[in-house]
Amino acid sequence: MYSTLRAPRAPAGSSGLVRLLTSPRAARLTAPLLILVAWQLVAPLIGSRLLPMPIEVVEEVGVLALEGTIWSAFGTSLMRLAVGLGLALLVGAPLGLLLGVSSRAEAFAHDFIVIGLTFPYLIWGILVSMWFGFGDVGPILVVFIAAVPYVMVNTAEGVRDVSRDLLDMARSYNVSRPHVLRHLVIPSLSPFFFAALRYGLANGWKGLVLAEVFAATSGAGWEIAGMRDIGNAAGVVVYALYFATFSILVERLVFGRLSAWVFRWRPRQPGAARATAS
Amino acid sequence: MSADAASPPIGRGTTKSDLATPRSSHRLSRVVVYAVLLLGWQALSTFVFPPYVLPSPLLVLQEMADIVASGLFWKHFLTTIIRLFIGFAIACVLGTAIGIAMGRSEYWREFFGDYIMLTLTTPGLVFALICAMVFGLSPLGPIVAIILTSMPHVTVNVHEGVRAIPRDLLDMAKVYEVPPAARLRHVLIPAVAPYLFTAVRYGFAIAWKITALTELFGSAAGVGFQIRTEYLVFSMRGVLAWALFLVVFAIIIERFVLMRIERDFFRWRRQAFA
Repeated sequence: MYSTLRAPRAPAGSSGLVRLLTSPRAARLTAPLLILVAWQLVAPLIGSRLLPMPIEVVEEVGVLALEGTIWSAFGTSLMRLAVGLGLALLVGAPLGLLLGVSSRAEAFAHDFIVIGLTFPYLIWGILVSMWFGFGDVGPILVVFIAAVPYVMVNTAEGVRDVSRDLLDMARSYNVSRPHVLRHLVIPSLSPFFFAALRYGLANGWKGLVLAEVFAATSGAGWEIAGMRDIGNAAGVVVYALYFATFSILVERLVFGRLSAWVFRWRPRQPGAARATAS
Repeated sequence: MSADAASPPIGRGTTKSDLATPRSSHRLSRVVVYAVLLLGWQALSTFVFPPYVLPSPLLVLQEMADIVASGLFWKHFLTTIIRLFIGFAIACVLGTAIGIAMGRSEYWREFFGDYIMLTLTTPGLVFALICAMVFGLSPLGPIVAIILTSMPHVTVNVHEGVRAIPRDLLDMAKVYEVPPAARLRHVLIPAVAPYLFTAVRYGFAIAWKITALTELFGSAAGVGFQIRTEYLVFSMRGVLAWALFLVVFAIIIERFVLMRIERDFFRWRRQAFA
């Protein structure tokens, strides 16, 4: 039954070109090319006021880059993201430690966390705009709200994961406290710290851009919504492309390289893949 | 690589589904939690913020009752729910198909890998704005936005499930010439099912939020449209009332309906391991 799902395989004796085009390596290029072609074909049917042609978008990339608004918009957003995420780590990590040691605290916090995750960022964005007006406080608060549950839960998981046997052994061999911290606690906490950072960052970012639409007058979220308000369809698409580029940079460079470096001591293992939550 | 990029390369991230299953059911603590939340809300609205900035819980409840009495509730709520279910059903079917294809062939894994990674990490706002822009006020906007954003969550989990099928079982099925239908029923579906349930729960959490968001930017009806209307007249009562309708609905679906189906489906497991 799977035969139909398999990649179109080049028949024996066909030219190298066909084999090249049907190789998995080529598939990565085929996908964006198909999208580009489809876009070019569909755009004229919809009308360029609503869906700009690819060429118009390319022009707009130049215009916006020269204006410089994109850099300052993303710069502002990144600063808010950094502050909110820093606060989430500062507050979330100690709370997570507490949840890791006390099951009562864990039971109590569990429902708060679930409720916090269920409430849409859209509503938080509107609420903080009413509470704090337009500025930095509202968006930063939303980053904090979005990121802190992930920091707490992952820190708690990490604490529970520290090997009891190794702790006992360290105690009986009189290993000094800094040594235990450096060679036992930190290595076993660090994957969870990375997970906390990763989910915190992803969700903080999503919350942030939404909050900026309602509770700020600057930043990437505010700019893309503004582009749509003034009817600059090409501008919206350009910003969308920048958002996509930003995602790729964070995924590939920060989390790919950085975590590879931090965990270079580990044997390679098939990681259990899960989607990032909302 | 590209498919893995959508998921954490590092061991064990705690995700929403882990959070959604309580470690121990402390019924009392749950009551306490909700009491603390309500009291905190009440305290904030009486002592810190004026009622037009943060109305008290009672005022919001009153507003919800008014909305239901006025008949607006059924019109807009149903509009949203219908869009949500159409979009999410399509997302589940497409997402499962793509997930299986990705799990079986490296070609499709590479083909969809970048798209999945991008849609998982790009804020929903971007998709909501583009869909609202392209489709204007038509109901297609929210539906397309739901499909685009919730499908990757379904795909990633199904893909993972397909890859987790024990090789031995597949090989054995091949050796003993088990017919494809039986292979599907006894090997593929049981192996993928737990992942599919996770997929549906994740996808749903994304789907209802993006529905409201897209309706907010481009729609002439629906809960999101009502939230914007109330926001534009600075009625926080209205904003919160409409938002709560949706949140309560989502909690009921996620915690009661989806979890119950999941429990019923895995009856055999509890019996087998009891």
